Amino acid sequence: MISSILVYGLVNSVILALIAIGFSLTFGISGVANFAYGGFYLLSGYLTWILLKYLGLPFIVAVFITIGAVGLLGFLIYWVILLRVRGIVLSEVIATFALGVGMLEFFRWKGFVTYEFTLPYFKKGMLLIADVPVDYQRLFIIAIGLALVLFLYIFTHHTRIGWSFRGIAQNERTAISLGIESDWTAALSLAFGSAMAAVAAISILPLGIISINMGYDVLLIAVAVGIVGGLESVPGILVASLILGYAQIITSMYISAEWMMVVYLAAIVLVLTIKPSGLFGKFKELEERV
Amino acid sequence: MKKSLFLSILVLFLTGFIAYPSSFALAAEPIVFGVPTALGSIEGRDGWMAIQMAVEEINAKGGVLVGGERRPLKAYSIDTREHEPGIPVHDALTAVEKLILEKKPNAIVLGAFRSEILMASMDLIAKYRLPYLCSIAMTPAYQKKIVQEYDKYKYCFRNCLNAIYLVKYLQGVMGFLAKEFGFNKAYVIVQDTLWAQATGKGLKKWYEKNNWEVAGFDAYPLGASDFSSSLIKVRAKKSQVIVPIFDMPQSGILLKQARALKIPALLCGFISPVAPGDAWEVFEGEVEGMVNFLFEIGPIPVKAVPRSVEFNQNFGKRWGEKPRVQLSGHGPGPSYDSVYIMADAITRAGTLEPDAIVSALEKTDMKGVVGRIRFAKDHQVVYGFDPEETALGCAFQWSKPGIRVPVFPELVAEAKIQLPPYMK
Repeated sequence: MISSILVYGLVNSVILALIAIGFSLTFGISGVANFAYGGFYLLSGYLTWILLKYLGLPFIVAVFITIGAVGLLGFLIYWVILLRVRGIVLSEVIATFALGVGMLEFFRWKGFVTYEFTLPYFKKGMLLIADVPVDYQRLFIIAIGLALVLFLYIFTHHTRIGWSFRGIAQNERTAISLGIESDWTAALSLAFGSAMAAVAAISILPLGIISINMGYDVLLIAVAVGIVGGLESVPGILVASLILGYAQIITSMYISAEWMMVVYLAAIVLVLTIKPSGLFGKFKELEERV
Repeated sequence: MKKSLFLSILVLFLTGFIAYPSSFALAAEPIVFGVPTALGSIEGRDGWMAIQMAVEEINAKGGVLVGGERRPLKAYSIDTREHEPGIPVHDALTAVEKLILEKKPNAIVLGAFRSEILMASMDLIAKYRLPYLCSIAMTPAYQKKIVQEYDKYKYCFRNCLNAIYLVKYLQGVMGFLAKEFGFNKAYVIVQDTLWAQATGKGLKKWYEKNNWEVAGFDAYPLGASDFSSSLIKVRAKKSQVIVPIFDMPQSGILLKQARALKIPALLCGFISPVAPGDAWEVFEGEVEGMVNFLFEIGPIPVKAVPRSVEFNQNFGKRWGEKPRVQLSGHGPGPSYDSVYIMADAITRAGTLEPDAIVSALEKTDMKGVVGRIRFAKDHQVVYGFDPEETALGCAFQWSKPGIRVPVFPELVAEAKIQLPPYMK
């Protein structure tokens, strides 16, 4: 049982991190809490499915088209919708939430509700790790999660766009005074966050089916992980994913699977009560000290 | 000239009157059936299609005879969305009441998808005194409530399988597995809803009385799609049978995950997405070996029940081959029958007065898609193993090259249950 918890806790943690990291990246750079994130996630799943099923494209082509298209959509949404409400937090939340719900309910209206919407495993088969069976797809998820974190580190530390991301995230006004274009950077952060939602969807959805309610669940997961770790902190997201991922697996193994969702909600309440900025967050650090 | 033209028109008119009496019957005030259900679920979708088909057939024959007058049938649906996670019971009930108030139905057919909504609807049905025939929701608590407060809830009936009968069918299959393969260890995985919990717990009691070991009993919330924690325990505890009880769309993935993890156990129970005829294709052949239930016959035609064959063929003609192949394993047969049962009761009652229809419904004895239809005192259609005596459900096993082979009950079985390749 212990080895199962260790292995599946890690897999679950990486899944949570993959889901939350795009949401966190956008918020950390632009300050926009993209509540349409669940919609982007689901859109990525359905788009890949359509490209595979109806256009018969090779899997890898469908994957790149989806990631590119969803990233581009995130970019456009910044210019078309968010630019007008930028800085008004409540309006940003309402605009993105309405957009997300609209996307999800559009798919429901068009009948994307049955069991046939599944994405293929990257490769079928399984391995025994410490006598615990793990399918290849979960191993791919771990690999993609690690690769994504590595990519983000290299990108933000060794490219011009990455530097502008970090500049805006650290202090927007100073960054602007140094010639970094705030709106372009924010739009790119939304594009990157949306593309990461697509990467998460394409990696994780083969384990389940693409269903509308998953869009809402994904948003809850992203928010829960963000609140626990600190919304703008990538290391915080990783630590929070490990805590929640293992807590969920232990709950399902020793109590019951039906209590897994409660772990998120309990964690949100607990962290907001004790440390509202999250474990690694700095937004309310001063108020917390006072 | 004018006279001959007038005579010609008169002759034409009279010919039409004699040849198509039904068109005149359809001019009478229609009898209205309300269909409040989860239209987005496969069961609700197929049930509504089956109802429309039955209504069209009855109207084509001139409508329903009520007190010497033929009246057309009309059915109106409303989507309660109750199959979706997070939809409050109150929202679904509001939809039901909206339909009742706006369309003023004489009876409700098909009805609730989720047992929780069914139970909550009972007071509404009693308030409006509407004959109500449920064809999807399965909790046995429904019957209990009818018996306890008959005068209040006498309008409520059910013609689909309920959890008690499903347990009986499952017991039969488990008995066979014990006898044939020596199996005695099962792991039950259910969705956290009234009917599925009732089925799982009923089966658990039977296992305990019959020297089986229940290695685990897990419940998953609606919308869950990662069953790996249960599957790992199945493997660790060396269970020979996994009994899944699910109707949510996500549940099909349980099978895919079990195959991906190479769990050496026979899946035997109900996974709604694995019941339709295209599941082999959808799940890329990974359904092979699974023993799944069709709660009521119809989606699979059974020769011993000619109406089931007729229904299956006509459904294909009316809606196309794809919808026929995709017919869900629960609901379409009873939904279709529900229109005929209600129409028959109205004819026998000779009036649309609710209490008279209830009395007539209680005396129903007819042959339908699901077999012989008779209501027990608790207003549940009796299910069993002989379609001449009772309604019928059946179990089938997925076999190469993508066919559903009926394996239980014996009367309709075309082969014995085989161990899937990964268990040999």
